[in-house]
Amino acid sequence: MANVLQRFNDWAKGIVLAIQEYFTLAWKAIRFIFARPFYGSDLAQQMDAIGVQSLGIVLLTGFFTGMVLALQSSVQLKTFGATIYIGRLVSASMIRELGPVLAGLMVAGRVGSGIAAQLGSMKVTEQIDALNTLGTDPIKKLVTPRVLAALIMLPVLTIINDLVGIIGGNVIASAYVGLPTSLYWRTVWEQIAAGGFTFRYIPNDFIQGIAKPFVFGGIIAVTACHYGLKTTGGTEGVGQATTRTVVTASILILIIDYFMTQVMLAVFAE
Amino acid sequence: MTSDDTADRRGQPRRAGDRVTTRTAVREAIRSEIAADAPTTTEMRVRRENAGTPVIELDHVSLAFDEPVLEEISFAANEGETVVVVGESGTGKSTILKLILRLLVPDKGRVLIDGEDITHLSFEEALQVRQKMGMVFQGAALFDSMTVFENIAYPLREHTDLNEEEIEARVREKLEFVDLEPDKVMQQMPAELSGGMRKRVGIARGMANNPELMLYDEPTSGLDPLTTGTITRLIMKLQRELGVTSLVVSHDIRSAFRMATRVALLYEHHIVFFGTPEEMAGSDNEYIRDFLGGF
Repeated sequence: MANVLQRFNDWAKGIVLAIQEYFTLAWKAIRFIFARPFYGSDLAQQMDAIGVQSLGIVLLTGFFTGMVLALQSSVQLKTFGATIYIGRLVSASMIRELGPVLAGLMVAGRVGSGIAAQLGSMKVTEQIDALNTLGTDPIKKLVTPRVLAALIMLPVLTIINDLVGIIGGNVIASAYVGLPTSLYWRTVWEQIAAGGFTFRYIPNDFIQGIAKPFVFGGIIAVTACHYGLKTTGGTEGVGQATTRTVVTASILILIIDYFMTQVMLAVFAE
Repeated sequence: MTSDDTADRRGQPRRAGDRVTTRTAVREAIRSEIAADAPTTTEMRVRRENAGTPVIELDHVSLAFDEPVLEEISFAANEGETVVVVGESGTGKSTILKLILRLLVPDKGRVLIDGEDITHLSFEEALQVRQKMGMVFQGAALFDSMTVFENIAYPLREHTDLNEEEIEARVREKLEFVDLEPDKVMQQMPAELSGGMRKRVGIARGMANNPELMLYDEPTSGLDPLTTGTITRLIMKLQRELGVTSLVVSHDIRSAFRMATRVALLYEHHIVFFGTPEEMAGSDNEYIRDFLGGF
């Protein structure tokens, strides 16, 4: 019995320690954004790797998600004779939920794993030690550009994802249901307007849809760097770091999405 | 000592490829190798030991992770000296380098660089102190996303105000020092180089900032006997021509004896011997004799 308690104690301590390390890393990475020297070329490179090179899969997932949403909702709405509302359904789902979450999950798989593998192999081949030895803080040189690039690029990818998804819905609405394109887009806008506005002009749905990927971007980059820099045990360790990154980042995205939704629904309720 | 590289120990009867079968023969061979280096080297050794002030000093350093790694380690490397730390694999030799680089902090004791205690420095202050040192990693640890040129230029770009021309001149100079042709290798990626070449680029990067102190982690491990000889001579050349203080961690006793002014032997977390190679070869201590005989 005492043995079990002891084990539980060690396990709990390990978790608390890991969470502490995670937040320390996140805090340092963000603090270094404002400290010299600023590694501009590293940032540009990471924005390309995280943003531009993820464009393909984001376009693909966005388009097909929009199409399947329109298809499924057309079947449901037909029973009420309300197929005119396809646009509202697609836009609400894409902008508030599926756009941010799907972009987040795709980037977690594609970019998170890449970052973890790269930093992990740098760790096991002593390149991280070499950076330290050459008088460079590895967090500043490696983590900060990745976190900053993800914070910038994931909202951008999400906007593209939303847009392509709504266009995909448009294709299905006009091809299968015979809904005129102008009517489709009018209902899309009606839905956005129904969510209300902040400062008169900024739709609340947009705020919700941008705040989420911003947070998800941070989660993906920090998780990947955290596991990458903690890698031990050679190439096998690199594989473990990659897997853990994708699993942890995906789970965190789904959980935090729920809580952000709840908070924002409360905030924008009045 | 002459500046001609070939005039040092290579012309002597014992060569890197020779085979020795019995323990006595090994000791005899080591003695003769050392004797062949006399008198100049011995003179230099004596002079250096007495004249130099300690550049690196470990003062009763202890460190444990889950179990003890180092216990009560004390030794010093004086200015211009080459100290080689030898010991079996897994005895914490590389940990000593990490302590000196302050990548690790000891549980007990002090580590002094140029008389300054570095154990209590902040992370940022430690980055400053590290610029006095050039480190050569076991696997060279070249940044594999950068070319050879960018690797060597990295410490210069980070910490000096040199312009592009000066940086290129410095990179060429360092590559030539390590006997690589700048025009051939500068634009290559580390993955395209052989193991020996990577080590040399690693040395060039370590010395790019003209450090006063060079640290080597197993510089000859995983290399063939010929390349081992080349790297050993290179380390000696660095010490001789530039007068840098060197600390080498190695399990290769043969090259250790060639380049060391003093040898520290690590055994079961303790330093069991610290002295000149001659003293070590002449020791009656059973473990030392076993250790030497094993090679």
